[in-house]
Amino acid sequence: MPNVSRRWFPLGAVAVLAAAILAFPSLAPNPYILSSGVVVLNYAVLATSWNFVGGFTGYISLGHGALAGLGGYATGLLVTRADLPSFVALLVAALLVAALAVPLGLAALRVRGASFVIVSIALVLILLLVFQSWASLTGGSRGLVVPRPFPGLLRPEHHRVFFYLYAALLAVAVLTWWLLDRSRFGLGLKAIREDEDKAEALGTPTYAYKLIVFVLSAAFTALSGGLYALWFGDLDPVFQFSVLTGSYLVLMALLGGVRTLFGPLVGALIVGTALEYFKTEFGSTPLHLVATGVLLAVVVLVMPDGVLPAIAAGWRRLRPGEQSSIREMTAADLAEQRHRSRHDDRSGPQGDRPAAGETREEVHG
Amino acid sequence: MPSGGLLLQSIILGLLLGGLYALLAAGLTLYFGIMRVVMIAHSAFLILAAYLAWWCNERLGVDPLLSLLVTVPLFFGAGVLLQRMLLSRLRAATLTMMSVLLTFAIALIIEGLLGYAFSGTQRRIQLGYGSASFGLFGARIAVVKLIAFGLAVVALGSLYLLMKRTSFGWALRATIQHPDAARLVGIDTERIAGFGFGLGLATAAVGGTALSLDTTIYPSLHWHWIGPLMAIIVVGGLGSVPGAAAAAMLLGLGQSLLQIPMGTTWAQTVFYVALFATLAFRPQGFFGGRLAQRF
Repeated sequence: MPNVSRRWFPLGAVAVLAAAILAFPSLAPNPYILSSGVVVLNYAVLATSWNFVGGFTGYISLGHGALAGLGGYATGLLVTRADLPSFVALLVAALLVAALAVPLGLAALRVRGASFVIVSIALVLILLLVFQSWASLTGGSRGLVVPRPFPGLLRPEHHRVFFYLYAALLAVAVLTWWLLDRSRFGLGLKAIREDEDKAEALGTPTYAYKLIVFVLSAAFTALSGGLYALWFGDLDPVFQFSVLTGSYLVLMALLGGVRTLFGPLVGALIVGTALEYFKTEFGSTPLHLVATGVLLAVVVLVMPDGVLPAIAAGWRRLRPGEQSSIREMTAADLAEQRHRSRHDDRSGPQGDRPAAGETREEVHG
Repeated sequence: MPSGGLLLQSIILGLLLGGLYALLAAGLTLYFGIMRVVMIAHSAFLILAAYLAWWCNERLGVDPLLSLLVTVPLFFGAGVLLQRMLLSRLRAATLTMMSVLLTFAIALIIEGLLGYAFSGTQRRIQLGYGSASFGLFGARIAVVKLIAFGLAVVALGSLYLLMKRTSFGWALRATIQHPDAARLVGIDTERIAGFGFGLGLATAAVGGTALSLDTTIYPSLHWHWIGPLMAIIVVGGLGSVPGAAAAAMLLGLGQSLLQIPMGTTWAQTVFYVALFATLAFRPQGFFGGRLAQRF
């Protein structure tokens, strides 16, 4: 039975979140905090874009950092070499990266599981190599300076404008994800995640679906990367094409929960804030690598479904009255539950029963 | 057209490098065969072993080759623990993806700790025989490269004998081929899988020592190795040791030869070109490939 609080709670949460994001620039005590806010929002857009592929199809890409870097470099080069206006360059760059994502996806999506991850890592490494070595075009290790789109603006104002631009992009990305989630196309993508062979046998054009969503994800990632280029104004291949960026995105999405709309956003808020904190605390020592690694290992081992689903499960346990007899579970879940009830007598009769309308799914490799 | 001597030198260096690639790829293939795990941390352990060899030489003053006596058993133990304590706890349904992330996390931790302990400074072992070389039909071959190749050959040879001639090797191969059937005939597949991982990580110990002899090392060096190694196991067909060895020799040779016209940086692209070409035209790999199709 649909419950009133169930329907209004998400809307209320979205309103609070939107209000918090919009109010942040006015509340930020100094420009440094505001610029950290821009960085965190950048991560939020990237993680949400990543989740188009990772969340729907279950294909985990460690190469999305490279797509963002490509977007940044494409924007910067179009502004400096082709003299395009900044935001026209941004859109053209996103289209270019989306076009490039087609052959990339054609090669990478032919293989499943481990091979896909290998390809995504290889993408980062090869682009780093190319952008470092091709110094006559990209400036190489000296970096590429991108002129600011609003030359008259003071720095705090500059941060504020880009904060709102990122917030708008985030809203578009989240809305697109939400629409896909409810569409037939999204259903096909989730079928790929659950069991690609069965989905294909039932007539889902899996290859085309994967490719479309990969290109869409690449376009959003490139927009975010391009916006970063315009905001930050200085690009260095080592940071733009770093495997670390990709791993941050995976960590954020996993920590928040890849199957939830706001999971990557929540993950980005947590991890992004932590990263900014590590940066001020540890400076440039390599300990931030250790911190990231430990966090990633803990998330993978302890809560691969993310915090939001974990909180939701705890919430349900507190309110057992809401349960109904309608279940939506995957075969893997049922098998796991059977396995558990066979071996574990401690679990109560209500413990594992999910509430109505709550889909518990399994990410498949 | 490069001179004959230069060409010969490139071919020899390519084969010597290919031997090292083959040893490391054998470890990766073992992990993949046992658990369908792509071990991103393999090259991080490689660099760790190289650092330990450097440390032995720098602080204790012993030959880096002696560090093998410690690192090989140490890495074997670490591999067993890694499999038994961490990887076997992941859910089977998501094992492939999650194990990649977990080993990626381990690689980050190792890189960070190496940077913290030894700083990001580039290190190099100074050996008495470090600059010794000999001529062969106009090509100059460094002695240390030959030693590194020798280490790789000895390690690969022992691995081969272990897999083919001992009862442990039979059990390990049975576990790789068909875990259920292996359990039915009384093999403790869980334990064997752990030992298999230990064996794989031991190849990283040997490879790291060989690498440390003539390479400048720094904590983030492992990214330069993981790309080529991943390309090798994909080209060779995931899960096939002879396939990986053949691909390693071929690509090592290709890299070495392409260095003449293209320079060292661009020559590295041969791995990525081979990787993408393999996936585009023959995703199951060129040499083995029976296991890769199961994905």
